Amino acid sequence: MGKSLKQRESTLGWMLILPSTVIILSLILYPIVSNVISSLFKVSLVEKDTFIGLENYRNVVSDINFWKAALITFVYVVATTLGTALVGLGVALAMNRQFPLRGFIRSLILLPYVAPVFSVVYAWKFIFDPVNGIFMDLTVEKLGIFSQRFNLIGNPDTALWIAIVFSIWKYFPFTYLMILSRLQAIDNNLYEAAEVDGASRWQQFRYITLPELYFILGSIVLLRVIWNFNKFEDIYLLTDNLKVLSIYTYFKAFVGIIDLGQGSALVIIQFALLLVFILIYLKKVLKW
Amino acid sequence: MKQFLIGVFMTMAIMGVAFANGEKELEFWTTETQSDRLARINLLVDTFKATNPDFKFEINVIAIEENDLATQFNAAAASDTLPDLVQVATENAVAFGTQGLLNTEAATSMISNIGKDRFYSGVLRLNQMPSDDAYYAVPFHGWVQGIWYRADWFEEAGLNPPKTWDDILKAAKYFNKPEENQYGILIGTSAEAFTEQVFTQFARSNDAWLFDGDGNLTLNSPEMREAIEFYAELAKYTPPGPQNWRARDYYFQNKLAMFFYSTYIMDDLALAEVAAASLTSENFEELAGSSFDPNLVSNTGMVPAITKTRDAGYGTIVSLLFPNTEDDERTAAAMRFAEYLFTPDAYISFLHMAPGGKNPVLREISTNPNFQQDPSNIFERYGPDKMAEIIEGLDSIETFSIVDGKRIEAASTVFSKQIIPQMMYRIIQEGESIDSALERAEAEIRKLM
Repeated sequence: MGKSLKQRESTLGWMLILPSTVIILSLILYPIVSNVISSLFKVSLVEKDTFIGLENYRNVVSDINFWKAALITFVYVVATTLGTALVGLGVALAMNRQFPLRGFIRSLILLPYVAPVFSVVYAWKFIFDPVNGIFMDLTVEKLGIFSQRFNLIGNPDTALWIAIVFSIWKYFPFTYLMILSRLQAIDNNLYEAAEVDGASRWQQFRYITLPELYFILGSIVLLRVIWNFNKFEDIYLLTDNLKVLSIYTYFKAFVGIIDLGQGSALVIIQFALLLVFILIYLKKVLKW
Repeated sequence: MKQFLIGVFMTMAIMGVAFANGEKELEFWTTETQSDRLARINLLVDTFKATNPDFKFEINVIAIEENDLATQFNAAAASDTLPDLVQVATENAVAFGTQGLLNTEAATSMISNIGKDRFYSGVLRLNQMPSDDAYYAVPFHGWVQGIWYRADWFEEAGLNPPKTWDDILKAAKYFNKPEENQYGILIGTSAEAFTEQVFTQFARSNDAWLFDGDGNLTLNSPEMREAIEFYAELAKYTPPGPQNWRARDYYFQNKLAMFFYSTYIMDDLALAEVAAASLTSENFEELAGSSFDPNLVSNTGMVPAITKTRDAGYGTIVSLLFPNTEDDERTAAAMRFAEYLFTPDAYISFLHMAPGGKNPVLREISTNPNFQQDPSNIFERYGPDKMAEIIEGLDSIETFSIVDGKRIEAASTVFSKQIIPQMMYRIIQEGESIDSALERAEAEIRKLM
């Protein structure tokens, strides 16, 4: 006895959140901690692991391939994030107008986003097949734009750009959906007032639409950066050998003779990079 | 206190549901990913279960793409969830074995249960551990690789069959007409196993080794360099970009003069003929692109060994291995099922999944009349002599990992890490110089040793 009602309520509160706390800790904290630990060891599958301090990290940053992968990832993330945001914005503005069959077309646009990545990747591969694909048939045989056939997806120089175009095509519907829903919530009176004041179309967009969309665009950019920075399956399935950081890590950690220690170090480095970006972004752009 | 207990029980209940696993299951990993082949394996499993009612385990057949198997296996080892039986290329089995991931006693005792003398000796040697009389895995079946070519085109052009390097290059140049969407030859030009398989045959035909008999790295020898240069030259007459065995479809479409492929193509050619016969233009007039040259099978020739300074063939033995699960009961059960797969009826039924592609490693099966009556009539079509030549070829397969009869474990590691195909990819696709690509590959190999 002796416990006040308040104390007892607080104990009950703690008890009630205990199960979810345990689950969250075991599903989120444990993998992170386990990753940090194995990044400090030379991990062996059969014998005992040996502690090697920061050796794995040194190996990672002294490898030119890591920096190459980092650069490719940077280009991929910037281009796809900007691309999906701009295309999504454009399409959302267009779809916000009145025209026949609007509902049907609005939902049609979602198709790339909801189609399973596996099937669309193979459709793309088939389209760009150098010998049988329709793209080469069209550009080389029918239109004569290129003088000879080549492998657009397979060629290391063009693979990155195809992966970027693919990502924009597949994910712009998500941005479009978010922006459209925000657009519909903007009060029409604002535009009417602006028109009375003699504002041009561009000025209406610049001083009403854009400020209203600021935070939704900001969140979309943040989400896309996080998702695309860690993107694996799209790029791995679509291209032959495009090593962004996630794929580079996969090869280091799991392909052939595996090096889980270095793989873990790579993951921690990526995690740290992303975390720093998110913190700066939240403060500067989303003004938290 | 009561609330606390409720909280604890709830947590345990949720965790319990997540980890509940009562069923006794054996995991059998296979690289046969095609649905008809999986159906055949499952049929064998059902037959085995029906004839062995005392067998307590469910056998769960899991298909894994060949290129992903090493990765999956390593991941399973890392997470302590190794399967009980795996069907995989011998080279990978040896690589797993050298990492200590295999139960080699199980494999060795199974080989003596079946009878060592019944196996082709060259096939057994590929599975042998450095210490005598012990084996990493049990050889199961095998295929031979060769150049398949349009014999009719060659005859018309007056070219020799593609056996020597000179004849191969000459024909590749002659038939390569990219402006007509026709290509000279298909060799592996992507960063995966197929490239290594084709390249190994070229390297061995110039007597180049990855390691010498004492285990010294000889990647940068004049012979190897010559083979790389020649391979890169041939790549110019291969369809654009990174290509693997899937590009054999271009051959079916009359867009390719030569391609490297295993004897699996015998079955594929026969099947394509059957498929095409049901899609003739009379039945489906408006169906363009379904045309299949009905004479393609008879117009296709095959050269199993290529030559520069010596004859070199290439092939792969597929083995059954027992991972080191430290669970004797499960391993014993897996061995029992594996031994069933070697009983004549089950074995022949398995090999007939792909006649020509799956060849027996047991001597007596190759002359078994049931085996020679395959459903696709491959034996009849190619004749017993050609088939005997192919199966005999299994006994003299060369790999970089057996030099002068000595096991070079590092070569299997290099194979498993795909270092050679990555090197060829950099040279062919990224235009890296041979010097710098060789240097990088050497550095990577030294890091592994």
